[in-house]
Amino acid sequence: MKKLIGIIGLVGLLMMGCTSSEDEYRYEVNPEEVLSANAGKKKQKSIEQFISILYANLFQKALSADEMIEIRKCVESIGDKELAFEIVVSNLMNRPDVVLPTDEYMRENMDEFLLDTYKRFFVRLPSEAEKAYMKNFISSDPNISAEMVYVSFALAEEYQFY
Amino acid sequence: MKRRAFLRKAGAAAVGAIGMPYLLPSGRLFARTQSRLADHVVVVLFAGGVRQQEAVEQRYLDGSQNEAIPGNILYNLLNGDPPEQKIVYGTDASLRGEIPIPRLLNQTLQQQGTLFREMRATLVGHYGGLNVALQGNTLTTQGLRQKPLNPTIFEYVRRHAGEPASKVWFVGNGIGNSVPLLNHSTHPEYGQQYAANFLAPQITFGELGFKHLSKSKVYHPEYELDPIYKMKYFLDNVFENKASAIGGIRNTPEEKLDIKNFLEATWQKTANGTITQPPVNDINDLSNIGYACEVMKWFKPTLTVVNLNNVDTCHGNFTTYLRNLHRIDHGVGFMWDYIQRQIPEMSNNTILLLVPECGRNLQPNPILDENDWYGYDHSDANARRIFGMMVGPNVPQNLTRGSVNNSVGESADIAPTVAEILGIKDTVIGSGLLAGSARSLFDRI
Repeated sequence: MKKLIGIIGLVGLLMMGCTSSEDEYRYEVNPEEVLSANAGKKKQKSIEQFISILYANLFQKALSADEMIEIRKCVESIGDKELAFEIVVSNLMNRPDVVLPTDEYMRENMDEFLLDTYKRFFVRLPSEAEKAYMKNFISSDPNISAEMVYVSFALAEEYQFY
Repeated sequence: MKRRAFLRKAGAAAVGAIGMPYLLPSGRLFARTQSRLADHVVVVLFAGGVRQQEAVEQRYLDGSQNEAIPGNILYNLLNGDPPEQKIVYGTDASLRGEIPIPRLLNQTLQQQGTLFREMRATLVGHYGGLNVALQGNTLTTQGLRQKPLNPTIFEYVRRHAGEPASKVWFVGNGIGNSVPLLNHSTHPEYGQQYAANFLAPQITFGELGFKHLSKSKVYHPEYELDPIYKMKYFLDNVFENKASAIGGIRNTPEEKLDIKNFLEATWQKTANGTITQPPVNDINDLSNIGYACEVMKWFKPTLTVVNLNNVDTCHGNFTTYLRNLHRIDHGVGFMWDYIQRQIPEMSNNTILLLVPECGRNLQPNPILDENDWYGYDHSDANARRIFGMMVGPNVPQNLTRGSVNNSVGESADIAPTVAEILGIKDTVIGSGLLAGSARSLFDRI
């Protein structure tokens, strides 16, 4: 009998010893505000910065200081800066030495073209949503040329900021 | 409710509804406007500093250069006979400036309208003076290279008269001296979205404009421009930094296209030598007046402000100052005639306002020109003496107000005067952003 009581007591102790701990571990993530890739662009480019960077993007070489000042004066002479930049961009596009990918290249290498264009003008990669929209938009219209895509990027508000 | 009580309440409600501000579909809240005195206003900022002595006092060389030769060299603007000796202000023949430019108008603007002989400029600097006229405010802390702090008349007209951007123009004499900054203020309730379209024709249509602006690639509006704008709008929508995005003057796409067409046509006319110009066109200001005429002809603006400044040569060359005064008289006479004859939509429906932004000193500086005549700066009490005039429908004719000892009007009156002409005076004054002393020149009469 004593032996039986001892066994029961031992089993009881073992059962108590196996009781799961009250500690509970939870694995979570810290709350983080998710921003788009362009959210850090807060500073607006000066007219000089805009012209210099635009020229470098389109011609793959630096603009001379004299020409930069001349173009700046032209931009200042028109009150609607959006319009002024639009005219400047279309003038630069009319130069024979502008460096543009061909339309065939754009359509055959759409992913690469879009990555390059985003990196060239916005200095970042496109999101999947941006890539999907642009791909779909370009594919759906055979009239869209690489030049037109470049013009739209050059006129975009994001291109005004860094 | 009894019939009498019903009628009384209904009448009171109707009166209240008429008097209350109301919300337009565009979201603008403003009081009901008064009727317009004219549908178009042209403001000539006869800027650069004009001494009363050579202008309304018609003293020519008398008193300024120890030569007792009086005379009126502004004979399109003012009544009075021209000088009879020492003619230096005209066009060149065997002697420089010896042939006066023939008068263009049959009746002077003084005869056709109202002259304010003696007004006061708040400030005696160029940029400050222009700011005062355009803002209707005498804020003296306005710095150079700083946009106006209070709304300009452009913004009042666009916001409260609901005028689109292409109906409000500021034609500058150049891009120096912060002139391009004057097309809108930084006021949080107004600002860029209500700005005027600015143009500096000497640059846009000059050598630089031809080199960098005039060779635009022409994109097809439907097959090329439309997809370009659609892609741009997509990219803009993705951009986070909306608050500080450039926004711009808010010309609509149609207005932008119209402005581009205007620029193209004007480059073409400039290249062909068929641009509108006054008969004598040998200084920058006259050329500027010619391009302002082209702007008016194309857009028929509700408000056009033309800035001039060639008379500022007075600092170091009194002879050239006289020549330029005479030429601006010629240019303004030409412009008024052009509006009446060449722009049917504006003819007999335009009020022209003219005012210098400041005067010039009583005493000369020591700088002598080729005739040994002294120059004049602008810093003393005499430099606050200016004149003003207005002409057009609903402006009393052949009327003069003010005298040396009784000044009537100030440079800050320009903004409320434009507001009155365009039927928004009460709203503009009600904004509380004008100088307390600024009044419409019509009220001064």
